[in-house]
Amino acid sequence: MENILGTNLDRIVILAYFAVVMGFGAYFGKYSKTTSDYFFGGRRFAWWLITISIVATGIGSHSFVKYSTKAYQYGFSSTMTYMNDWFFMPLFLFGWLPIIYYMKLGSIPEYFEKRFSREARYIATFMILMYMIGYIAIQFLTLATALYKIYGIPLMLTVVLIAIATTIYMHFGGQTSVIFTDLIQGFILIFAGLLLFTLGLNFLVENTPYASGLKALWDNLTPAEKLPLANFNSPPDFNFVGIFWQDGIAGSIGFLFLNQGLIMRFMAARSVNEGRKAAAFNVLVILPISAIVVSNAGWIGKAISNSVPGALPIDLAPNDVFVSVANLITSPGVFGFIIAALCAALMSTSDTLVNASSSVIINDIYRPLTKNKSSDEEQLRLARLASVVVKVIAVCLVPFFNSFESIYEAHGWFHSTFTPPLVVGVFLGIFWKRFTSTAVIATFILGAFLMILGQMYPSLISPFSHGIELRPGRGYSYIGALYNLFVCAGVGVIVTFFTKPNADKQLTGLTVFDIHKLKKIFKGSSINEATGKPVVVNFKVKDLGKDMVSFSKDDMKTINANKGDLVYIQDSRWWLGGLKSIHATFADPHDENGVVYMSEVQRDSGMFIDNLPLKAEKEM
Amino acid sequence: MNFYQTWLPFFYLYGVGGIAFLLGTFLIYKTGALRVSYEIHKKWIWILFYGYFFYAFIHALFIYLAIGSS
Repeated sequence: MENILGTNLDRIVILAYFAVVMGFGAYFGKYSKTTSDYFFGGRRFAWWLITISIVATGIGSHSFVKYSTKAYQYGFSSTMTYMNDWFFMPLFLFGWLPIIYYMKLGSIPEYFEKRFSREARYIATFMILMYMIGYIAIQFLTLATALYKIYGIPLMLTVVLIAIATTIYMHFGGQTSVIFTDLIQGFILIFAGLLLFTLGLNFLVENTPYASGLKALWDNLTPAEKLPLANFNSPPDFNFVGIFWQDGIAGSIGFLFLNQGLIMRFMAARSVNEGRKAAAFNVLVILPISAIVVSNAGWIGKAISNSVPGALPIDLAPNDVFVSVANLITSPGVFGFIIAALCAALMSTSDTLVNASSSVIINDIYRPLTKNKSSDEEQLRLARLASVVVKVIAVCLVPFFNSFESIYEAHGWFHSTFTPPLVVGVFLGIFWKRFTSTAVIATFILGAFLMILGQMYPSLISPFSHGIELRPGRGYSYIGALYNLFVCAGVGVIVTFFTKPNADKQLTGLTVFDIHKLKKIFKGSSINEATGKPVVVNFKVKDLGKDMVSFSKDDMKTINANKGDLVYIQDSRWWLGGLKSIHATFADPHDENGVVYMSEVQRDSGMFIDNLPLKAEKEM
Repeated sequence: MNFYQTWLPFFYLYGVGGIAFLLGTFLIYKTGALRVSYEIHKKWIWILFYGYFFYAFIHALFIYLAIGSS
């Protein structure tokens, strides 16, 4: 066994952290009463809550290890992948997001059936499930590798223990638990990462002649290590152009358009505009901070190596830099907290993916097979069971991923194998009406075949290589994504021209060309875009029919709403972020100002408390 | 440090990425998904372009500072 790191205090801190998160998540289980709550959190949350919970989803436990390694080897260019996601934001915010939200898509594969055919849905389901379950396995492996060095428990047993711990709160809580545990874990992740950075800068001040830690860091990196983008086409294992195509193009589209976990998070937003705010704030503010959070241990490690000889082992393996630097610059207990943050990263990423996987299993396999005849309660029970099954399969896959040379390589294999066909399928589906059902299936099957050929015969990728050196026996790495995208798109385009497209009527609401019709489709009647003001009201229980609520005539005038318009009502305490809220439809008005009539079911669903005011605003 | 290390990646990133960004913006404008007549959409146009130039500025600044320190 390798040397065990950390102290007993560190181990207690890590265990305490697991216990707190499990309790927190299990508490929010009471907010999941239906499959809609379980998967989408009832479409009710404010943008800021969605944003912070996305942080924890975007930073996996592998992120700390992977980016610290690259930061130690190459400096600031380790941040590249966190800072190249803006290019597809226009299409995401105003193309894809309104489609998935207003068409009430339960999953990405469901889009493939509506847009193309049932066969396309089944293939997409298989690919997405494989992708997500494999991703969960990699998360388990990364954290187990770190905890193994601290607790000395055998690796596979550590994996099983982690799986059980995350199951406890996920199992009962679903999406609401995921969002709230990810909220707290998002803060912890950022805090721990910035704490590590601060402690690292202090270490440099204490051990070098510099008065400023930032100055010490800057001066102890070479000019090349200060560049924010890597060398254009060398070395083969870390170059700009390859990473641009793999991450900036395929990865960004995959993350924004195909990540079922992320999509479900946006579906939990209370409106499309709240989803847009969450996505934009995440990319503009949170991702740059996240880049520092996951990379800084590597930068600090490099500066320490250059300025404090002997502080870190001369033969330090780049993969070990995160744990070694954390151990060096923190005191007992704080080291445990930093590793607990690594746990936070794992738990929050895997819980999102597990919830997303069980959503795909219920929405894309169970419901179509049973023709949606089972009750919601039964589906909810099955969703919970599915989340357990997903974890069992993920645990079984861990030894397979452990056989790769590094976690970085396993992760890269994943992205390059599963993302391009799906990326091309969804992208052409949204933005090209002519794209046919036969073409999307050909993209999946023939595209995958050509991708495998590219892996077997790297000379096929050479025309796309941008001068990147071909490594004997190992082929091209990241730039393979450009070849994969090209062959998949090529197959899709060529087959489309030889096959018959679906009728325009069948595509209604499923392409970017119908965005302006989506609100009407969602509402089921003409929309009211007149601007109004929110009102604060108290509620009284009175049954008015399914989803109906009634306001006074004056309040309706203030809101600028008509009968049949949609309304969003929430507990007036803003910091709840929409946790206690409902969507409803305006019924005929009454004459009692400052009061809304709603049914008992609506009151219970919103968890509204007597005498606490509610805030109501028109949706559309 | 040569051009391959410093400015070529920058121009490639904001050139090829910029084409994707502008095509996307043009597409959502032409299809009516983004409507300049809506006050709220006007703000979003500003945010979209702000994001593009924000990242370009950060990257350019660090390249400039790194070259200056060599």
